[in-house]
Formats: sequence, structure tokens, C-alpha cells
Amino acid sequence: MDKILRIDVGATGGPKATEVPVGEYAGFGGRALTSAIVSKEVPPLCHPLGADNKLVIAPGLLSGTGGAQSGRISVGGKSPLTGGIKESNSGGQASQVLAKLGYNAIVLEGKPASDDLYKVFINKDGVKITKDNSLKMLPNYDLIAKMKAEFGDKVACISIGPAGEMKMGAATVAFTDMEQRPTRHAGRGGMGAVMGAKNIKVIVLDATGMPVREPKDPQKFMDANKRFVDGLKKHPVTGQGLPAFGTNVLTNILNEVGGYPTYNFKQGRFDGASKISGETQAETEKKRGANPTHGCHRGCVIQCSGTYNDKDGHYLTKQPEYETVWAHGGNCGISDLDKIAMMDFLDDNYGIDTIEMGATIAVAMEAGLAKFGDADAAIKMVHEVGKGTDLGRILGNGAAMTGKAFGVERVPVVKNQAMPAYDPRAVQGIGVTYATSPMGADHTAGYAVAQNVLKVGGDVNALKPEGQIELSRNLQIATAAIDSTGMCLFIAFAVLDQPDTFQALLDMLSTFYGINMTGDGVTDLGKKVLKMERDFNKAAGFTPQHDRLPSYFKTEKFAPHNVTFGVKDEDLDKVFNW
Amino acid sequence: MTCFRRQDLDDSSLTQLRLVIDDSQLPGFYQILQAGLMVKALVGCNTKSFLTQQLGISPEYITERIQSIFLEGRPVDDLDSAMIHDGSHLSLSAAMPGLVGATLRRGGVYGALRSSITYNESDSQCEIAEGCVHLKLFNLLMKELGPDLLSKGIYLKSSHLAGFLSGQPLEFWQGCKEILLNGKPVRPDFLEKENWLSGYDLVYLSVITAN
Repeated sequence: MDKILRIDVGATGGPKATEVPVGEYAGFGGRALTSAIVSKEVPPLCHPLGADNKLVIAPGLLSGTGGAQSGRISVGGKSPLTGGIKESNSGGQASQVLAKLGYNAIVLEGKPASDDLYKVFINKDGVKITKDNSLKMLPNYDLIAKMKAEFGDKVACISIGPAGEMKMGAATVAFTDMEQRPTRHAGRGGMGAVMGAKNIKVIVLDATGMPVREPKDPQKFMDANKRFVDGLKKHPVTGQGLPAFGTNVLTNILNEVGGYPTYNFKQGRFDGASKISGETQAETEKKRGANPTHGCHRGCVIQCSGTYNDKDGHYLTKQPEYETVWAHGGNCGISDLDKIAMMDFLDDNYGIDTIEMGATIAVAMEAGLAKFGDADAAIKMVHEVGKGTDLGRILGNGAAMTGKAFGVERVPVVKNQAMPAYDPRAVQGIGVTYATSPMGADHTAGYAVAQNVLKVGGDVNALKPEGQIELSRNLQIATAAIDSTGMCLFIAFAVLDQPDTFQALLDMLSTFYGINMTGDGVTDLGKKVLKMERDFNKAAGFTPQHDRLPSYFKTEKFAPHNVTFGVKDEDLDKVFNW
Repeated sequence: MTCFRRQDLDDSSLTQLRLVIDDSQLPGFYQILQAGLMVKALVGCNTKSFLTQQLGISPEYITERIQSIFLEGRPVDDLDSAMIHDGSHLSLSAAMPGLVGATLRRGGVYGALRSSITYNESDSQCEIAEGCVHLKLFNLLMKELGPDLLSKGIYLKSSHLAGFLSGQPLEFWQGCKEILLNGKPVRPDFLEKENWLSGYDLVYLSVITAN
């Protein structure tokens, strides 16, 4: 990996591809690379759908190697949803394939001269860009079926659905999985709209004939990878809980502690929780001949994904994740797993972020467009988005837009991005991250990565009130670094609990690149990424007042524990003081 | 949360159902374990003592496996000080993923992130007495602790059990080797009707595996 593919979509005669050396961006991968390019090359005040914005797609530092869990891919740009910098990452096959093809990143830039839609094909022989208006408004599943027919079943695809073409704020960039289904998405922040604004419908990647990337020290890399895999397999979360139940295993415990936002963040418990829990979902999948234990990309040993069949045993969608089941389920008062799975499929097919869509439907329900619990009405709303009706155009631009259009005060967003499935009044520390992350409300921005190993900023006294600020700061730093490696965030538990597994991860990086990666190095990288992102947002007009939760979280008591968000504004402003 | 107490469980007219089932049908009962059940217990003890002495769970298993414990819907950090009362709600979970999974973990470094809902005991002087404990098992613990609990017998809201049984497929009933209702054999089709428990708040259920 030593080059960047830049595609100027505004070039005379149609999009033109140019390969350039990675140059000053060498050593960056994933989120670090997308944020570095965006912060250096994109004017912060530009329109997210205009000529000056860029869409950057970057595999991680270890993608395309034999390293386990290294298949995450980052998508960055200025977000049409938040107006700030965005990095949204995904699983799927593309990261491994793009890295094997030797690219550190693909950058889409410029403004198309016409309405023509293009597909991009990349293999070992080069890049071919073709006008193909027959792809217009194709949903992702139909699109990928056409690509499979044209390019075969070995390719990986990066695509947008109709929502991306309509440049909606909730539009995703989709990535095909091991079965060539468009089930993995860079969902947050409307990156699909930026791709849509460049008139690129799909990027098809074929690494046939390309070898696995070779480490500087193959033997030591293999040894580190083995220790890393052993650590993941022996840990009860990565070795047992996630493979058995998937991420939706969180439903029951969040509900139990009253932290499961329900009925548009009105209360913390949902009567139907056990009907849509990961435990119930896994049993349902097994009974119907589906598979609750499955990886989203080759090289995954955690296997937290799966497939979901309908009542007749036919494939309906991939196993919906916790956030999706919450967004379309509990948050809308819906307890029918089949209807939730249908919405998951529709979101993937139209190319819409499941979290933003579910939160938006709940806001619409609060506005009176449908009753909470009405699953058929919720499904109809998703179709409205996919078809681009007048209502769909509003809904497809997210919860904040929908709240404004229908006069709803209670809209759970930060920087215009909908909150995920953890109420910040019950788990206040995550509220600190929702408020202060440069990405907008984001549950993955501050993750459980090795606080006790990295000791970013020294030991934290968890009993002190300011512990929440310190923990959020440290978690955001660590997450920014992990996102840059291209490693799946679910390695977090094994790394958190097992210092030898964390060391194995550092050894993988060190032996692959011939460097000496240390915990301090990881910390420095995370700080550098956050600083770039914060600086971009500041130049784009963000102030400390944007680092706040909506005011009703401070005043509206959240049942069953009747708590409000109590972290002071002046403390939120200290998060990035390091 | 619905709250039953010991006097509700001591009702002598309580319906008793005993099922002898094939091993393969046990996962069907996970729905009951995660939705919640009740057991008779000596209350007025601390959570650790309840788990070890009354549920028979080893201290090693508690330390290594039961990473998150919730009492009255609040995360518990100190099992020695958190007391079990008549009508208490106790839920048990293995380690969970994600930041929030780590946050809810017992005694973890991220406990500060959920300090506003952490369980703090306000009645540590309670006396030992007969009581009722509401219990939920989640994720990996359903398979590991569930069979023993089901075989010892549990109490359920009748409506929950009736709803559960009425939704079972044919294979479930084919896997039932023996059904005793108040000590007398009954046919599956009797239990499939939702109204057989009407008039009763609670039912006593025991489930034994045949192989």
C-alpha cells in the first residue's frame, strides 16, 4: 500500500483517475488518513455536496494482511448531516481487497459536469470508469446483482442506494460482505450523499492475482497474530457472547438497568424487550435455518454477525445489530422481530443509516405521523424515503430535519446526528462522549479500549466526579487510534482485560511495518486525529455550545430511575484539555 | 416492574405444572429465563450469600462468569453489601460487549460512567425471613444456570406461561415426554389453550430433562 487513487469527477470528458504516491500521508490508515486528507484538503466552510468536498475511502493499516479483525474501512468527508468532519467505518470485504490492490485510499473529488452516473472498476491492471445510467435509482441488492453478473462473484463492491443518489443526510455507503450482499454500511453522517454528489454509483474491486500484503518480519507477525487470535478466542465476550448472540445481546441488560431509550427517549424500559433481545433473535434464527454466528469479512474470528430468515426460512437480511433493533424496535415501541428485520433489509437496500432512520421514525411518531408500536406504518415511512416522496425527503434527512418540519421539541440529536441506543441520563459518561465527539452523537466515538493499559493522561480515579470527563477523553483518544488501524472495535474487551492481547496487537503493527509501536505511540496517534478533527470543526463554525446535549436531557426525568443529565457545561469543555 | 411477595407464592391453591422434556427443547425456555421468574428464598441476606448458598452457584463462577449483576434494576458493585429483600428483582449477566457493556460490569474501571444509577444499599440491617426473589438470567447464563433452576422449580405469572406455551411449535410438544398438571397427566393440546390458567395469578413450573 503506497498510493492513493484520486478520481476527479469534474474532469473534461468525464471522471478521470490518477494514481499518486501516498506521500505526506504515509503512516496513516483508516480514520487517521480520512481525517488527515479532509482536514488538509477540504475547505471547512464548503458545501458538503459541492465541488470542494471530498469523499475519502481508506482501509486500515493492517487491512489486506493475514492479520485477524483487520477488515474495517473508513469513509470520510465533510458531513451533510452534521456540517462537520466525519469518519464513518464499516466491515465488509472492500477493505481487504482495496489494500491488496495497493491503495491507501480512494479520493472522489470535484463536481460532475452532468447528471450521468458512473461505475468504477479497479483490478490489478488499473482503473476503468464507465458511464452507466441504467444503474440510476437502483437499490443496493439489485445493483450488486448486476455487478455480480458483470464482474463475477469474487469482487467486492462499494455502493450507494437511492438515498445516496438523492443526497439525503441519512444516506450510507454500502460494502458487500463475504456472500456479496450489501449488508455492511458506513452509516453515520450521510457519507452516501457525498458519494451521490460525485455521481459515482458503485466502485467494484477485484484483487484477483494480488497477493496478501507481506509483513517486514513475517514470522514475528504470524506469532503476534496467533497471540492476538488466541486472546480474542479465550475471552468470554469475543470468544463466546458475541459469536452466540451478536451485538443485540445488549438489549436485555440495557433494558434491565433502565438505560434503553424507548418511545423516542421517553423512558428507559420497554415491555417488549425480551421479544427482540439478542437471545431471542439467535434462537429465532436457528429455528429458521439461519446462522447467528458469522463474520462480516474474511479474517474475522469474533463472528458477531449472522443471517436472518423469514418465517418460511428464506433469507431476509443479515442479523440486525443491537443499534438497529433498538432504533426500529424499542425506540419506536415495536416488538416484532420480523418487522424490524424487514426495516433492516430496506435500510440496506435503499442505503439509509439504521440508527438515524429509527430515531427519525420515532420523532415522526411523536409528531403524530403514526402511533408508537405501529410497525407497518414504520415500514411505510422507510419506503417513503427510498422512493423519495415529499415526506421521504424530509425523513431521509434525519431526526433533526424531521423534528423541525413537524414542530417536535424532543429531538435526540447532537450536532444534528441522532443519538444511538444508550440513554445519556442513565449512563452519563456516554453522554459526555455524545456531546463532545467531533462526529456528533456517536456510541463508538469513545470506546472501551484499554483504559487500564493505555493510561492515557495517567490513572483515572473512577470515583471522582471528574472521572467521567477523563474517561470520555481517554476513550475518545484510544478509539481514534484504533479506528486508524482498521481493526474491529470489538477487539476492545479482549484488549481491555488482557494486556498480553493488547501487546499482541502492538506487535502486529510493529512487525508488519518494522517499527516499534508502543502504547504511547497509539495515544499520540489518537490525539493527533482528534486535534485535526476538532480544528476542522472549529474552522467550520463549531463552538463549545455545539458540544451539548439537547436541553431536555437536563430537565426531563428519565424513568425508571428518574435521572437527568448532570454533567456541567464547564466540565464538558474540559474534555479536550490534555 | 411487577412485584410479588412471599405470601403470593405460598398460596396452597397454586397450580403446579411439571414438564419432562427432551434436552433439545431446553432453549425454548430461554424466553422465560430472560423475561423473569420467581423463586422462594430466605431473604435478608446479602447478594453473594443468596447466589452461593441458595442458588448453589460457586464463588469462582460468580467471579469469573457473572460479570454484571443488577439489583432493583441497578448495577451492583459490592455483592457483600447489596441485600436481598422480599420482592427483590435480581438479574445476572455474563460480560457484555461495548463501552456500555464495560460500564455495567461489576466493579469495573468504567463504573463512574453510570454512577447515577449504581445500586447503593439503604437497608443493610434487615432480618432473615422467608421471601420471594424475582430473577432474570441473560445470555450465556441462561444455558449454564437455567436447567438447574428450572428443575428445582420456579414461579411465573400465569399469563406469561400461558402465552409462552400457546406459541410453541409442534416440535416442542413432541419433545415433551411427560406433562403433569397438579400431579395428573394432561395432553399437550390442553396446555396450548391460553385460557387454562385464567383465574390464577401465578403458577409453579418445574422442567426436567429426560436425557
